[in-house]
Amino acid sequence: MDDVLELTGVTRQFGRAGPVALRGVSLRVPAGSFVSVMGATGSGKSTLLHCAAGLDRPTAGAVRLAGRDISRMRERTLTRLRRDRIGFVFQSYNLLSELTVRQNVLLPFRLGGPRGRPLAEVLARVGLTGLERRPVGELSGGQRQRVAIARALVTAPAVVFADEPTGALDPTTGGQVLRLLRDAVDRDGLTVVMVTHDPLAAAVSDRLVLLRDGRLVADSPTPDAAEIAARLRAVSTSAVTVPA
Amino acid sequence: MSAGLTRQALRKHPWSFAGPVATLTLGTAVVSAGIGAQTSFGGAGLDAAGRRALAATDAADFATVLVLLGIYLSILIVTVTMAATIARQGRDIALLRTAGATPGRVRRAVAIQAAVVAIPATLAGVPLGTLACQAWVGSLAGHGVVPTAVAFRFSAVAWPAALGVALGAGVLGALAAAVRPARVRPAVALTETAVPRRTFGPVRTGIGVLLAVGGTVLAVASSTLPADQAEDLGLLVVLALCVGAGLLGPALLRVAAPLARPFGRVGALAADNVAVRARALSAALVPLVLSVGFAAIKVTAHTTAAHVRGIADPAADVWLDYSGSGVFVAFAAVAAVNALITVVLSRRGELAALRLAGATRGRVLGVLTCEAVVVTGTALLAAACVAAVTLLPLLHGALGTFLPYLPAGWLAAFVLGVFGLVALGMVAPAAVLLRQPAIEAAGVEP
Repeated sequence: MDDVLELTGVTRQFGRAGPVALRGVSLRVPAGSFVSVMGATGSGKSTLLHCAAGLDRPTAGAVRLAGRDISRMRERTLTRLRRDRIGFVFQSYNLLSELTVRQNVLLPFRLGGPRGRPLAEVLARVGLTGLERRPVGELSGGQRQRVAIARALVTAPAVVFADEPTGALDPTTGGQVLRLLRDAVDRDGLTVVMVTHDPLAAAVSDRLVLLRDGRLVADSPTPDAAEIAARLRAVSTSAVTVPA
Repeated sequence: MSAGLTRQALRKHPWSFAGPVATLTLGTAVVSAGIGAQTSFGGAGLDAAGRRALAATDAADFATVLVLLGIYLSILIVTVTMAATIARQGRDIALLRTAGATPGRVRRAVAIQAAVVAIPATLAGVPLGTLACQAWVGSLAGHGVVPTAVAFRFSAVAWPAALGVALGAGVLGALAAAVRPARVRPAVALTETAVPRRTFGPVRTGIGVLLAVGGTVLAVASSTLPADQAEDLGLLVVLALCVGAGLLGPALLRVAAPLARPFGRVGALAADNVAVRARALSAALVPLVLSVGFAAIKVTAHTTAAHVRGIADPAADVWLDYSGSGVFVAFAAVAAVNALITVVLSRRGELAALRLAGATRGRVLGVLTCEAVVVTGTALLAAACVAAVTLLPLLHGALGTFLPYLPAGWLAAFVLGVFGLVALGMVAPAAVLLRQPAIEAAGVEP
């Protein structure tokens, strides 16, 4: 199957002498797959997501997204590509709190994007039917995350990037959110790349990628939650060297 | 079409627009006052002698300068105040950028916000300016600066002109302020941890010292020159010293901060706060030093001349000089208060943490008052240095004395004025913030 996302030797350094978050990471993601990216705090997983999604630019290396090289793309073109082909779900929701559910979900269209899927269908999919006119600021955390998922799905994007989507939610609500993402992969053939530190969340994915100190150290089909936790512990503890 | 950023910003942070609104209100007031003055001078039914007397004064020219000054300072200060307004929308802008808003669209959304606030600013500014102009024209006639036949006349042109200036200055200032925030990579705005910024502290301080020393040397050298040449150099001296003081702002505050330490635990806390926030607070220090230094030079030049010669300068010169300085000072005051309010608002979480750790409202306000005293003292001292270095050679050239004379009333007015402004920017917003339960404020994003 075609790769919808391809990273080649991606390096990201903050400032000329600053910290290096990614060191030559290469990764290919075929369309229709659900990839989890895990690693200890500071391992570079959020930076990987930002570079892959065109929110940040790598210092070196190339990123191809939906068949186009985005690492040297002009800001305007990149922004349009993001609007039309990429969906985002963040831990902190990132919604406009004073606007309604409808206004938030339709944001990509108000910014000039093409019509993707009908609003009613998307809201029904995430279980928000009837809440269109409510301001997002009045909703619960779980409902807000559903609004964010609805906004990510409404453009029928090539890839959805999720950064700790269950980080601020209780296990039950978090489970519902993960099922929505899993559903989007199985029923709509969507591609999801998710950064998480929760083994239970990672367990719903097809493929597990582990990062340590900005390097890709493991890439395999996703095992069960207990095995994920064990592998995560292994890369986390060996990463921390406590001076005597 | 701003995709809701304008509505979101106006609803979520209505108070963050106070700075731009105040600036544009002042700008439209100054512009409509200038137009009113021109109409009053031009429309007065004067005889030939009266017209000659009016032309002999600079009053009519001054009215034109007033309009231009209002436009220029509006654009400048809207850029400064709008930058703080935009900074509060950082997360929302980052969200729009991830969702597909181009930098151009973000800039347009910010320009729309400025255009929206231009309308209430005009509605408030024109009546204020008209009242001020009425009083000003009256006082000019009363002091014999212009013929007594000149009476105030309102011109309806003031309304469209003021609205045009408010819209133009607001949009231009907002666009200038939005250049950087609109271009920032979304990932940078979304990440919680700040990327360590390059510290240019030593370089900044070095250039500041260089400018201060250079300005002083120039001032000393100019004291041997004829009066008119010295006066021309005086402008260069003021510029060098003010830019120098601006660059030295953080360093000055860091030096001044420990002076609060002897005042008990409140003082120690205030000293730490000022030292940590020296950079942010210096944004308020610059307009304060500029305005106080400038006003002190103007006032002291006149009072010393009157003191030495035994007679006052012609009322016409004094009044026009003071009126012009007043406009400068008013704009600088808006910039200073806005900068201070911005600092306090960004400390919302910290103030809440102080209270959760056991500080009473009174004690928190005590700390802030103490910080306000430090900022006031630093601003006054720096302004006094700028004024003295600039003025002494000029006084020597013109009057043959190195001893300036400033009546105690003026001195008290400067001290109280600066402290009043600093308290308005630091203590008043904190008192409002502290009404909110601490636990609510502790959790909010900055």
